[in-house]
Amino acid sequence: MVDLKNLIEITKKIVSREDVRYVVGYKKGTYGFQIMPAFAYTPEDAEDFIYSPVCSKNLAVYTILEEKLPLKRGEEEDKRKIGVVVKGCDSRAIVQIIQEKGLKREDLVLIGIPCKGVIEPKKIEKMFPNQTDLIDVIENDNSEYIINIGGKTHKVPKNELLSDVCKSCEFPNPPLYDVLLGEEVEITEIEEFSKIDELDEKHTEDKWEYWKRHFERCIRCYACREACPLCYCKECMADTLNPQWIRRSVNLSENAAWNIMRAYHLAGRCVSCGECERVCPVNIPLMELNKKIERDVKKMFDYTSGLDEEEKPLFGMFKPDDPEDFIL
Amino acid sequence: MEEFEPNIIGFLCNWCSYAGADLAGTSRIQYPPNVKIIKVMCSGRVNPMYVVNALQQGADGVLIGGCHPGDCHYSRGNYLARRRIAVMKRLLEYIGIEPERVRMTWVSAAEGRKFAEVVEEITKDIKKIGPMKKIRRENIW
Amino acid sequence: MENLVLSKEKLPEMLTEIASKYALFGPIEENGVTSFKHISNSQEINLDYLRSRISPKDLIFQQTETLFTFSKGKEVKVNTPQIDEAKRVIFGIRSCDARGYSILDPVFEGKREGDYKDPFYTKKRNRSTLIGLSCNKPEVNCFCTSFDDSPASMKNVDILFTDIGEKYFIDIVTEKGKELIENLGNLFSKASEEDGEVRERVEQDAINAITRHMNTEGVVEKLEKMFNHELWQKTAMRCIGCGICTYLCPTCHCFDMQDEATLKEGARIRVWDSCMYPEYTMHASGHNPRPARMNRVRNRVYHKFSYFPKNDKIFACTGCGRCIDYCPVNIDIIDVIAKVKEAKI
Repeated sequence: MVDLKNLIEITKKIVSREDVRYVVGYKKGTYGFQIMPAFAYTPEDAEDFIYSPVCSKNLAVYTILEEKLPLKRGEEEDKRKIGVVVKGCDSRAIVQIIQEKGLKREDLVLIGIPCKGVIEPKKIEKMFPNQTDLIDVIENDNSEYIINIGGKTHKVPKNELLSDVCKSCEFPNPPLYDVLLGEEVEITEIEEFSKIDELDEKHTEDKWEYWKRHFERCIRCYACREACPLCYCKECMADTLNPQWIRRSVNLSENAAWNIMRAYHLAGRCVSCGECERVCPVNIPLMELNKKIERDVKKMFDYTSGLDEEEKPLFGMFKPDDPEDFIL
Repeated sequence: MEEFEPNIIGFLCNWCSYAGADLAGTSRIQYPPNVKIIKVMCSGRVNPMYVVNALQQGADGVLIGGCHPGDCHYSRGNYLARRRIAVMKRLLEYIGIEPERVRMTWVSAAEGRKFAEVVEEITKDIKKIGPMKKIRRENIW
Repeated sequence: MENLVLSKEKLPEMLTEIASKYALFGPIEENGVTSFKHISNSQEINLDYLRSRISPKDLIFQQTETLFTFSKGKEVKVNTPQIDEAKRVIFGIRSCDARGYSILDPVFEGKREGDYKDPFYTKKRNRSTLIGLSCNKPEVNCFCTSFDDSPASMKNVDILFTDIGEKYFIDIVTEKGKELIENLGNLFSKASEEDGEVRERVEQDAINAITRHMNTEGVVEKLEKMFNHELWQKTAMRCIGCGICTYLCPTCHCFDMQDEATLKEGARIRVWDSCMYPEYTMHASGHNPRPARMNRVRNRVYHKFSYFPKNDKIFACTGCGRCIDYCPVNIDIIDVIAKVKEAKI
């Protein structure tokens, strides 16, 4: 369990430093189980910070998302550091960005949180629908969530609400941090991301039927891209006009091309935080694609993303004995 | 009924595979005319988006040809391509696009015979599975 | 007009009847996502929904629309496509979404004599008969009552169905609706006074069940003075710039035009666009007048709560709550407007 007082204390200390601009963390949302990212510019702002199992959002995205307004004459760019509260996967995302030279380590202050898994917002909102008042969720030592609603206490087994990606998480502890809150989590059991095998064994046509159904539904809002901490290209290949790789019209062909390329561009980079699937407004199981690639990459090249910032990117290196059984 | 003649796009590297295809031609080796060749400087130049885009725009199959490992003119381009295409192939297969449609081969400048054999094989394979319809642009407005 | 009732058992029969005479659209659930689709079989319809995930605006203002096609060569031929002429019935639309159509009307149909009328929108709109379905149990983020509307509002539909237990109570609102009902034969029976009372009670219960409210009083005037307020920067800091709020919104109507072509022919198409993307305002020169998310978030709020009411005397928000529900970072429009009201200037 993360000690809230400790979190706030540490955040305050970091925000007070002269070389830190702000710290990104979580605070309570506007209703129900909602949580929103919070930005602390001053120690007072840090008072609102919380951490609970519903804090599923990957805050690493804010390290690459900031858009600065054009500078006025005589104004100087604020080059101070940004502080971020990171869970295991968030920290891995940052390691990965640093590895790709998208960020500099010295521009960041990382508050690491050993993560016991997060609650899938869709699941908890289904279990307790229509909650207007803000609700606290606490995890106890017996792998249960304690949820207080209108004076009534509900105990829910952890497994029922835990995010699917968290069930198969191998790295709950942040690999990179400046301060670590609480003790490292021990990994007890890891469930295989079983959906992949199920589909993998099916016939080609059945696989296509499955994905066709999902791709047809895509509305191309690009929330998957924007929520992903690793989709930080200045100009996405989906937005380029010359050449226009993917047309803007929404139909099966273009939707499939978009979803294939989104997943492919995360090969050897995806850190399995599950944000893309979480934000998708039309419930496309995007993590199945990401996990599939992750598994292939592990098997073929023995490569895991986001663990070592000195490692070279997957597609930027090779081994002479890479598998080539598919080559004619 | 007319037999299905597949459209196959071949991305061949300038230094080996393209020269290999050239040799097949100058040696007058007979092979199917289904492969339309696009010369690239190196197989490492083949952006995986090319593969998806070719399949969208009417190709029934895509062939990527590079130098044998160790022979790359740019020393490592073909190794990099090998990794990329390996992942791409598996992803497409997972989505339900037949693995036969995306192929990769090493053909040196001296292997005119091998090039002809490769083309023969993939043309035969793709004829068997039929035209690509799944992610092809319909261009119906 | 006299009110009718329809027993629930007869609903499939009615839908089949409609489907045989009109193009019928209704809510269909697919993998947990409800959206309005063409229906050929009454079994497909899912009335067990509250608010479709994708708003039915896409039935009339399609996400992808071909404006014209052209051919290449010495003589270029330009063809305008046939617009779907079939008479449509949209069944099961909620009052908030029906209100969305009436907000879109001045945009696409023009306000004054001589204004350009978008043929694609206008034709589909005029040929559609809307059968509304009252909400009995509003969701947590529903706030239609804040815009003088109600879960069983008859303002923007042609016919309104209200679930009163064993049967549907039917309000026939317009001539178009009357025509449709007359076309369907004698499936219906007369409503008793008691049925009418139940309907009123159901509506009142639904209104009472709405917990969240937006106070829009004076917002237009307040926003006038708030363009450079720090609230926008604060709110936009957490915006990730996706298009969920705009694509799911029943009143967002921005679009982009693109030419798509092969070597022989091509088409100009119209696709939805979102003011949340930086490309939306990007100039060819590379200059972007809305360079940061702050400008874009502000623009969305201003469009709905300042520019639109100033031009058309109506807020471009129906209180459907989709943008609140599906925003990944909890940018809550009710909260934003509340903050606008509180803000010191």
